[in-house]
Amino acid sequence: MTCAEFQQELPDVLEGASRAELEAHLRSCPNCSELVSDLKAISEQAHQLRESEEPSPRVWKSIEAALRQEGLIRDVSTEPRFLAPASRRRWGPAAWLVPIAAVLMVGMVLFINRPLSGPIAQRSRQPELGGISTPASMSARASNDDDRQVLSEVERHAPLMKSAYEDNLKNVNAYIRDAQSSVDQNPDDGDARQYLMQAYEQKAMLYEMALDRSLP
Amino acid sequence: MESMQRVTKAAVVFLVCVGILTFAETRKEYRFTVGPKASISIVNQYGPISVKPSPGNQVVITAILRSDKVEIDNDQSGSRIDIKSHLLTGATADNGRVDYQVLIPADASISMQSATGPLRAEKLGGDLTLEGAGALVDVRDVSNVHVHVKTMNGPVTLTNIQEGHVEISSVSGDVTLSSVSGRLVQVSSTSGKIHYDGDFGSGGEYSLTSHSGDIDATIPPDASVDVTARSIRGLVENDFPFTPKTHTTFPLVAGSSFAGTIGKAASSVVLRTFSGKIRLKKR
Repeated sequence: MTCAEFQQELPDVLEGASRAELEAHLRSCPNCSELVSDLKAISEQAHQLRESEEPSPRVWKSIEAALRQEGLIRDVSTEPRFLAPASRRRWGPAAWLVPIAAVLMVGMVLFINRPLSGPIAQRSRQPELGGISTPASMSARASNDDDRQVLSEVERHAPLMKSAYEDNLKNVNAYIRDAQSSVDQNPDDGDARQYLMQAYEQKAMLYEMALDRSLP
Repeated sequence: MESMQRVTKAAVVFLVCVGILTFAETRKEYRFTVGPKASISIVNQYGPISVKPSPGNQVVITAILRSDKVEIDNDQSGSRIDIKSHLLTGATADNGRVDYQVLIPADASISMQSATGPLRAEKLGGDLTLEGAGALVDVRDVSNVHVHVKTMNGPVTLTNIQEGHVEISSVSGDVTLSSVSGRLVQVSSTSGKIHYDGDFGSGGEYSLTSHSGDIDATIPPDASVDVTARSIRGLVENDFPFTPKTHTTFPLVAGSSFAGTIGKAASSVVLRTFSGKIRLKKR
């Protein structure tokens, strides 16, 4: 059995199916074995979260009130608890993710639109791309964190390649900055958008290479 | 004193033997019989992969393992074959290296990955996927196939690719295309240089894009292209008299962009760089 065939059977495996060929593959393949154990761990954590950190009705009410105040939901009186119960009915154990995602989204919007100061503010006050905010500080910080994580992975698996990845990440980040600045200055320039997209594609490719488990 | 010398000699002999055993190369050969349009995947952490066509329906893989710190996992499922170098504890870039020489039926498709490479493929008729961070990639003499290449800093050379669907992405490796044509030829690079030497075919879409890498395209006087070239912060040079376009999606600025048609404009060519230099040269 190949990894691809095994992964097609993953739902059954996670539900406890036990067949000789699945077991044999799990024993022989460290990648699939690690994947299954990761997925089981996530599933257990989610289950525990649901049991121990199920938000109280007050949380639902607060979210509902906040959304109504923002004008994001209407006529809630006819469906006073549309978020929680409907989600729970449809998605079962994953229901708790819905309000958390909503809160995160609201938080993200507030974060993106928060007033900034200093040089970061100057950058983010540049024109926006097609109505989409481009918060330089947030993306730069997130990008730095991601880069550090990726580089530490590379250092762990292939220390000799770390400096090459570091240099190339710098290049790609410069590409993203230049392309972003070009888009900010000329939001209607299709080429500028293409540059930005390709810059991000290059970065995604670097991440993919760095994190590919099959390669050092 | 003599006993001291004997001990030293014995120690040296012992260390040499251990060294030989540790780094002893092993040659392995795997043979698989496959049907038409087989699919082969080879993942090699360290070392080259070279692929050529075999005359029959056999896949023959010859692997030279640098030490016992690396094993080869192989799996066949119908016409699909997976080969993977499997590093064991203590493996390094030196002792974990495997050199692969692979023969596959000409219609088989192959995916090969190696962080260090080189990756080479020639005279094949199936789709090719080659990926490797620092791997040199060399593909030549293929036609009517998809060629997908991804490298970080490994240089990429494609030679004599006809009617191909070519997609290359390299962050800092130079990309050289010689006599490459097809319905779609797309090269994307951050700081690597892009060289194209060919005629841009007769009816394809060609897109060569970089951030800071220069783009050189050398084409014959009778090429037939609709070309757009633009460098936002760099310069563009053009050897060709062409019929300028009146409508473009960006303002044409002399010295940093041009757009026009040469011949019957059979193929569309877009050359774009952010801060590199673009040269369209006559052969």
